[in-house]
Amino acid sequence: MDLSTMLYVYLLVMCTYATTESKPKPGRGRGSMWWGIAKVGEPNNISPLSSGIMYMDPAIHSTLRRKQRRLVRDNPGVLSALVKGANLAISECQHQFRNRRWNCSTRNFLRGKNLFGKIVDRGCRETGFIYAITSAAVTHSIARACSEGSIESCTCDYSHQSRSPQTSHQAGSVAGVRDWEWGGCSDNIGFGFKFSRDFVDTGERGRNLREKMNLHNNEAGRNHVQSEMRQECKCHGMSGSCTVKTCWMRLSNFRVIGDNLKDRFDGASRVMMTNSLRQNRNSLQSSSANTNTIGISGPAISPNAASPNAFSADRMLNDHTPDHILKTYSSKPPSNTINSSNSLPRSLVRNRVRQRKKNNRYNFQLKPQNPEHKAPGPKDIVYLEQSPSFCEKNLRLGIQGTHGRQCNDTSIGVDGCDLMCCGRGYRTQVIDVIERCACTFHWCCEVKCKTCRMKKTIHTCL
Amino acid sequence: MAGTILENLSGRKLSVLVTLLLLSQVACFLLGGLLAPLPAGHQVILAMVCKDTPGRQNDTTFWLHLRGDGKCASVSQEDIERHDTKMANEIVYIFQMPLPRGEELDYSRWQQNLIGVLQVDIAYNSDVSLIDPPKDLQLTVDTRLAYRNKGDRQNDWKLYAHALEKRYLDCSLKTASQEESLFSCDMVPLFELGDLHHDFYLLNLRFPIDTDMKMNLNLGHMHDLTLTVIHQNGGFTKVWLSLKTVLFPFVVAIMIWFWRRVHILQRSPALLEYMLIYLGAALTFLNFPLEFLSLFIEMPYMLLLSDIRQGVFYAMLLSFWLVFAGEHMLIQESPYKSTIRSRYWKHLSAVVVGCLSLFMFDICERGVQMRNPFYSIWTTPIGARVAMSFIILAGISGVIYFLFLCYMVWKVFKNIGVKRTSLPSMSNARRLHYEGLIYRFKFLMLATLLCAGLTVAGFIMGQVAEGQWKWDEDMEIQLTSAFLTGVYGMWNIYIFALLILYAPSHKQWPSNSSDETTQSNENIVAAAASEEIEFSHLPSDSNPSEISSLTSFTRKVAFD
Repeated sequence: MDLSTMLYVYLLVMCTYATTESKPKPGRGRGSMWWGIAKVGEPNNISPLSSGIMYMDPAIHSTLRRKQRRLVRDNPGVLSALVKGANLAISECQHQFRNRRWNCSTRNFLRGKNLFGKIVDRGCRETGFIYAITSAAVTHSIARACSEGSIESCTCDYSHQSRSPQTSHQAGSVAGVRDWEWGGCSDNIGFGFKFSRDFVDTGERGRNLREKMNLHNNEAGRNHVQSEMRQECKCHGMSGSCTVKTCWMRLSNFRVIGDNLKDRFDGASRVMMTNSLRQNRNSLQSSSANTNTIGISGPAISPNAASPNAFSADRMLNDHTPDHILKTYSSKPPSNTINSSNSLPRSLVRNRVRQRKKNNRYNFQLKPQNPEHKAPGPKDIVYLEQSPSFCEKNLRLGIQGTHGRQCNDTSIGVDGCDLMCCGRGYRTQVIDVIERCACTFHWCCEVKCKTCRMKKTIHTCL
Repeated sequence: MAGTILENLSGRKLSVLVTLLLLSQVACFLLGGLLAPLPAGHQVILAMVCKDTPGRQNDTTFWLHLRGDGKCASVSQEDIERHDTKMANEIVYIFQMPLPRGEELDYSRWQQNLIGVLQVDIAYNSDVSLIDPPKDLQLTVDTRLAYRNKGDRQNDWKLYAHALEKRYLDCSLKTASQEESLFSCDMVPLFELGDLHHDFYLLNLRFPIDTDMKMNLNLGHMHDLTLTVIHQNGGFTKVWLSLKTVLFPFVVAIMIWFWRRVHILQRSPALLEYMLIYLGAALTFLNFPLEFLSLFIEMPYMLLLSDIRQGVFYAMLLSFWLVFAGEHMLIQESPYKSTIRSRYWKHLSAVVVGCLSLFMFDICERGVQMRNPFYSIWTTPIGARVAMSFIILAGISGVIYFLFLCYMVWKVFKNIGVKRTSLPSMSNARRLHYEGLIYRFKFLMLATLLCAGLTVAGFIMGQVAEGQWKWDEDMEIQLTSAFLTGVYGMWNIYIFALLILYAPSHKQWPSNSSDETTQSNENIVAAAASEEIEFSHLPSDSNPSEISSLTSFTRKVAFD
């Protein structure tokens, strides 16, 4: 009882901290500023691996939030993985949308949240996809970087081995080596997931519907990465028999995750702007007055965000704090009732319970706009408003339009010239392409190729 | 021999002994469950790609490494894909083990062995030629393994092994787009090190493409190369070795005690006694903590040796069961003392064939690996067929053995049933003798079934625990390790108990005073012993073993 009251007080304090800190920075897309690190180091072409130089880069300072900077500082090597991740997201997005009117272009845009253009200010499908794929890419590339050995702070999950007598009283680096010798390292794919939550979701507090949408889509991206992991096992007992078996998780290619996300994009569900926007604002205001009602979402991040000293790499991975908080709160019904309807199917209730267990901030269920549709699942992409047409250049929305885009004259799909050019017609060109072809290889170590000249027909929209 | 200790032990003493043994069994289980970590740990390592230095591709003293002084500059996947020939014949895939975690980690000799498996993701340009998902795709890889120790300079890598290996890939389509199709291939074994003598290992892989030699031509191009290295956990080795070290002297002591007891008797040891001592010897061979040596000496044959040690033990155990059942048949054809050669060679041939074929398989796999750690019999179709035939042969002999054992046990039980009916009509001594035999047999049957059942249950439990792939922080007992130490301890205790309980009883030279009305065990045994002596004076009985006396008895019954 004492503990819970103490926690309660602690939470109250933290919530007020969090709200006071967040007050001066209103506005959308706060959480997506970090996208800009994709372009970090690009103009002067600093080697992306020298994180020391990159950390000094003022661009990073302006791009990342305080908590994100702290995460980067505490996990050396993580920055290059983040840069890789952001670029991975961009290239995958462009690959998936190469045949659509909106092609995920990042050409003419500035840094930060406007990396993909002002389209992210609208809560449309494309925005949902961008959020999902960036969060997935961070998860993926952090997990990859752990396997490459370029992030040294990837956790070794010693939880199973902590009972060993040697390790219980060891501290610091010695314990690490001892632990490794004693019990080895288990899989640390979870590191990518947790890091992505901490890093990507920093700005999203889930206060309004748009932030909830972002959170949901971020989480969906991560869930796709996680569900695409495959377990592999190797038997290595006596004579290779299965008396001893070791299993691990295999990260799948990001293209697969991109494909899945694209499928979800096509089947994205539009969620309700419940009642009206004004009511949302009201609830926001009431949140600062009464931190208890909406502040449930606060504690999950606020201890780290609010007190600079309290954070450490270990802390980041430690879900215990929110867990305990959760327990103290779990007796109360969740009071941020933007969309919690009473007549949810049982599976969703179960789902909610599961999610609440995981993290408080992610404890919400969005409601589909069409009541006959299924409520969005944890892997679905959600959006709030219809997409603009993307046909014509629209500077206000940062849309390039499809002028000058290549199209396929034989296709009847979106990449076909009729749809792509929005009926404006297209120009046909024949160009010469020079390629290396008919290569012969010799080990060791030469490659001889012929030069082929080919004619290629290209159609471009007017 | 009047009988064994088992029959002559009072119920109270027996229960104390059994309780003690059960307690030590629980201790073995808990030792693995509470103290030991998972038996094996692993690291998943992603290949880093560096450009090869021209002219040094065939130089095995030349190494590319990733961390520390003189590391190579890695090439990104995008750069490779942008290159028009995908940098064919120009790049090296590098794995440096172990991965750092917080600080530079190094392998400890406690970690015993290292197994590496490779997983390949390949892509094909869709426009080139995607006929079918590639079947029997052959991968030729130039593998070089180097090692370094802690004091060495960071670029001072020394060659450990070098080979040009072939692997067959089995790939499945993951995703296809207009530009390229991605395939993900099943893992292929890459190397197996029988000992982990050095601190750091470095693997340089090259995939030579050669038009004339048709090497790697239809391979598409590599996307991701993932190496998973599995090592035994140091903590597990420590627990395992201490278990062995503790069990070793106990088994040796009980063997000496047993053999002395047998030799006190005025006869040569019976076959069962030989079998028991052989079984004890096999167990001692298995228990001997030879692994301590690997902390000091480089022993690449450790994997093979431990396989052989286990194999010898299992062969001995299986033979023991068969002989035990045979010796308790209660019907003897030959009046002579039975030996392995005279009576059991046919029975045991299944065990011998099975074990030999497994041994051959092991020699072909792990024996060759001592010379070339990259070798695996499974990688070539012919080799896989040979390996498979060895294993099938072993499996068939296993089945034959099992059926035969079941048949023999069934026969014993039938004979027991027959004898039961005639028991009341026998003389007191004979009856006691038979009852002793039956009791002995049933006790062993019970113990064996219990042990075998627990082994199977433990195995299944271990598999299930492995199957649930969750990071269960709350799981108190490390089931896999508990199962391993529990089963190991169980067979030790089983044989320990056999050596004690089936040792000849010294209560065969008591006074002649026999009080038939006393129902205490000791007295009955004494009575049995006195009649036994009488037995042995029968003219047909040339030899004082219990079995032959039985034989004569059965003959007599038949004659009657």
